Amino acid sequence: MAKSLLIISRQAPWNGPSAREALDIALAGGAFDLPLGMLFLDDGVFQLAPGQQPTAVQQKNLAANLQALPMFGVEELFACSHSLTRRGLAADTLALPVQVLDDAALAALIARFDQVVTL
Amino acid sequence: MTTLHVIAHSPFGDERLASCLRLLGTDDALLLCGDAVYALRSGSEPHRQLQAAGLAQRLFALDEDVQARAVGNDLAKAVDYAGFVELSLHYDKVNSWL
Amino acid sequence: MKFAIAVFSPAHAPSSRRALRYAEAVLAGGHEIARLFFYQDGVHSASANVVAPQDELDVAGQWRTFIETHQLDAVVCIAAALRRGVLDEAEANRYQRPAVNLPKPWELSGLGQLHEAAQVADRLVCFGGD
Repeated sequence: MAKSLLIISRQAPWNGPSAREALDIALAGGAFDLPLGMLFLDDGVFQLAPGQQPTAVQQKNLAANLQALPMFGVEELFACSHSLTRRGLAADTLALPVQVLDDAALAALIARFDQVVTL
Repeated sequence: MTTLHVIAHSPFGDERLASCLRLLGTDDALLLCGDAVYALRSGSEPHRQLQAAGLAQRLFALDEDVQARAVGNDLAKAVDYAGFVELSLHYDKVNSWL
Repeated sequence: MKFAIAVFSPAHAPSSRRALRYAEAVLAGGHEIARLFFYQDGVHSASANVVAPQDELDVAGQWRTFIETHQLDAVVCIAAALRRGVLDEAEANRYQRPAVNLPKPWELSGLGQLHEAAQVADRLVCFGGD
């Protein structure tokens, strides 16, 4: 059975290519039909903020790639409740359908996956 | 499954250590290396956070980084690279906070 | 046991050196390295154009020697490398760039190689940051 991988993305979206390159790991794994999850943590939750206009800083729209995750078979998407609250982001306004988890649920989530990488 | 979390960034002005301590499972361990070993500086805020987390035998530090920075270390078990590899195998997976 | 080791930092970052020392310890412990994978700024750890000052550690050179000595599979992510100007001969020709800085033993390939390594290895261990 294929090993599952949880990718924890904690980079803000317009701070260089880090957020996009974390997402690319997920998209590449999804293309191989691997069991993948993606968790948005710390500044990574800013990737989920609604109404972003990346063209203002001449960047491609990351949200479009994020929305492709389920099409690539990456259906397990999570966000950290603590990180959202601390940044004034409301769970019901996010640009992507994610499960919002508290700290205890996040610990259980990390324990469930075979491999984890935090970018 | 258990996790060995690895942090290499300084805990000052960085959220990695704080977030890791929030998410750390009861059987998980933490290895500090690079500038993350500054968290072991006694009297510092992260040192207090590490003490409060009560990690006991589950807190490790890469010995060369502790020595290089002269932080002192009364909390973590010091390991060399062979020890780091052994820890990687003792726990079910390694989560590096890049 | 089999290890997949991924490097996310350039040769001048402490974490690139740490990854190298870790990789050496993996082999010294009688274990196997399924693949080394270089991603994000880690592609700079593979650059042949890094010139370390004479009195400083040449981590990029040590990576090359380590990989050649042990005949390891060392893959550099092609998308990350192109973005950062780390090119093998084929890519330098394709994009008509003046310099090649990724000769053998390194190999340019896709992120699928990271996933494949993670699947065959008992542990995926990543290095980056300070």
